[in-house]
Amino acid sequence: MSKLKRWIVLGVVFVLIMGLAGCGNSAEIGKATNSGKASGKEGKTIYRTLDEIKKDGTINIGVFSDKNPFGYVDENGNYQGYDVYFANRLAKDLGVKANYVSTEAANRIEYLQTGKVDVILANFTVTDERKEEVDFALPYMNVALGLVSRNDNVVKSLDNWNKDDKIIIISGTTAETYLTENYPDIPLQKFDSYATAKEAFENGTGVAWANDNTEVIAFSLQNDGYTVGIPSLGSNDTIAPAVTKGNTTLLDWINEDIKKLGEEQFFHKDYDETLTETYGDKYKETLVVEGGKSE
Amino acid sequence: MVDFAYIERVLPLYERAAVLTVQLGIEGILLSIVIGLVCALILYEKIPVLRRFVMIYIEVSRNTPLLVQLFFMYYGLPKIGIVLTPEVCGVAGLAFLGGSYMAEAFRSGLDSVENIQRESAYSLGMNRMQAMCYVILPQAVSTSIPAFLANIIFLLKETSVFSAISLMDLMFTAKDLIGLYYKTTESLALLVVFYLMILLPVSIVGAVVERRVRYAGFGA
Amino acid sequence: MPDLGLEVLMKGNNLLRLFDGLWIAVEISLLSIVISIPLGILLGILMTRKNRLVRFLTKFYLEFIRIMPQLVLLFLVFFGTTRSMGWNLPGETAAVIVFVMWGTAEMGDLVRSALLSIPGHQYESGKALGLSRRQTYFYIILPQTLRRLIPVSINLITRMIKTTSLILMIGVVEVLKVGQQIIEANRMVSPNAAFGVFLVIFILYFVICWSVSMTARYLERKWS
Repeated sequence: MSKLKRWIVLGVVFVLIMGLAGCGNSAEIGKATNSGKASGKEGKTIYRTLDEIKKDGTINIGVFSDKNPFGYVDENGNYQGYDVYFANRLAKDLGVKANYVSTEAANRIEYLQTGKVDVILANFTVTDERKEEVDFALPYMNVALGLVSRNDNVVKSLDNWNKDDKIIIISGTTAETYLTENYPDIPLQKFDSYATAKEAFENGTGVAWANDNTEVIAFSLQNDGYTVGIPSLGSNDTIAPAVTKGNTTLLDWINEDIKKLGEEQFFHKDYDETLTETYGDKYKETLVVEGGKSE
Repeated sequence: MVDFAYIERVLPLYERAAVLTVQLGIEGILLSIVIGLVCALILYEKIPVLRRFVMIYIEVSRNTPLLVQLFFMYYGLPKIGIVLTPEVCGVAGLAFLGGSYMAEAFRSGLDSVENIQRESAYSLGMNRMQAMCYVILPQAVSTSIPAFLANIIFLLKETSVFSAISLMDLMFTAKDLIGLYYKTTESLALLVVFYLMILLPVSIVGAVVERRVRYAGFGA
Repeated sequence: MPDLGLEVLMKGNNLLRLFDGLWIAVEISLLSIVISIPLGILLGILMTRKNRLVRFLTKFYLEFIRIMPQLVLLFLVFFGTTRSMGWNLPGETAAVIVFVMWGTAEMGDLVRSALLSIPGHQYESGKALGLSRRQTYFYIILPQTLRRLIPVSINLITRMIKTTSLILMIGVVEVLKVGQQIIEANRMVSPNAAFGVFLVIFILYFVICWSVSMTARYLERKWS
């Protein structure tokens, strides 16, 4: 692309964005009465305060609908899984009904910033980049990255990578960020949902699938013929609920609730109910974070 | 504010995606032209049995969404042992969809050629094949050009669903970048600009040709 | 007989859930078309006006909507408006907005050509009968136009129903997403579910769109 063309593109983009921003400003005047609004660093972010959620009687919670056993939908159309078990409890403690909104990995931040959900409980790993966009509450689970591959060709290392082999990743996950930054030469095959990624992996696409190690371990246990060749990759992180940036009332309440739940060992029970069937008791102590205290 | 450094940085990704969009689009369109021509001729010549199959194909292809066709092909077919790469699936899906639209365009072109043309060709001593190739087809093709161009725009637009089978086209690139760097406004604006760069020229050519030909029944 | 993964549909409410998912698509299309018809007529009338500015704006609108892939429009409305205007739209609403924008444009263009195709003597006869400009429109021109529009709008409904499959990509839980959820929940017991589920969805879409197109074709033949 020539330099001239590049400038034309930049120019048109600029005009378009100014147009959008202009509409935004004029729209804001009529919105002054709308409470619980704060300006983000780009555009506007909207959220509902704790009181507004209580008054409404429903909390909108973003969860996965295709990430078994953390967030999925059973054959009767009900949301289930480790995240959902916690979400149900949050709603109950708050005294409101839980409305589940199905989300994809790449949409999670967007859904919070645009007020489509009040809280994200979709296996959301805490990272510094994400902290700039949303507010994380106390963690409830430990996680690192992992790599699962087929038994006949177990991938144990990412070094000396064969350029023709692709790794499956899901768009918008920490695995994508990690591999893009640290192994830019490994070709990635990107999918936009867990459902499509797993389906394609099963159908023979890619040599390996990189994701949260919890999820790839679950996949290898639930399906025959797969081995987790790299059980831990990158840094050890935590998973926590996230709210829209600046929504302190909701954030503080969730933190209080997580601390309280620690006293009754709630997340151990959550593990027993939702994860034992897949993992057994093997990962209980490494995976569960109780009372928001991760060491 | 607008982050120009970001736009500069991701521009090459969009360029690569645009190339993929155009490349798969062209491959799919070329195939659908072939399918369309064959189907239109079968219908026009009223070839028994084959005609039935063509009619069923046209109904199925026109009454199902490309996205569902692609899902079935890419995620469903491997279960019965047919494994295709996303690229092959995308082109095949586009051709399957486009074939019926092209067939309709060519058929209405063929129907518009008056019978006297064929009869005159025969009386000049041409055989069936020659009459088709030298007399009927050239006229039919030229009358079907507006509908044909409308189909091309339609098919290029349809490539936007390729993202569902993990092809890194413009749509997926924009979505992926939003998920990676959270710059929604810039990513969406670039998406619009790139689609305009691809589709506007085709659309302008279409408008000019339409004005020249002024043929009724324009549109998909 | 190989395992085609059809048995999962018999479990729990699975088949019913698929129908529910498809119904969302049909509902969105019907609602959009109902809103599009009056707006489209308005746009069509505007497009036949002599005023240059009006003509330019309507033409620009029509061309922009036509040239952009529907998926791009969905993204712009779903993510773009929330960002820049502070609206918070659920996916279903965003879908209806986009389909109405699209339906209005298509319908407007059809109304425009239908209006132009009505011979001039119809207007003149109205005038000769002492009808005002507005009365001529309402009693003579529009009824003739509307009749020509019905088959085409039904056609537009099939195109919309087909396009609703795209709302999967903005996170609406519709038939494809329900299908994915069913496949996901049964991955261990029926590994081949993807074939059966997507095949059934394919057939369901075909049955609905095909019957609607057949109706359109019948009406077209009857009224032409």
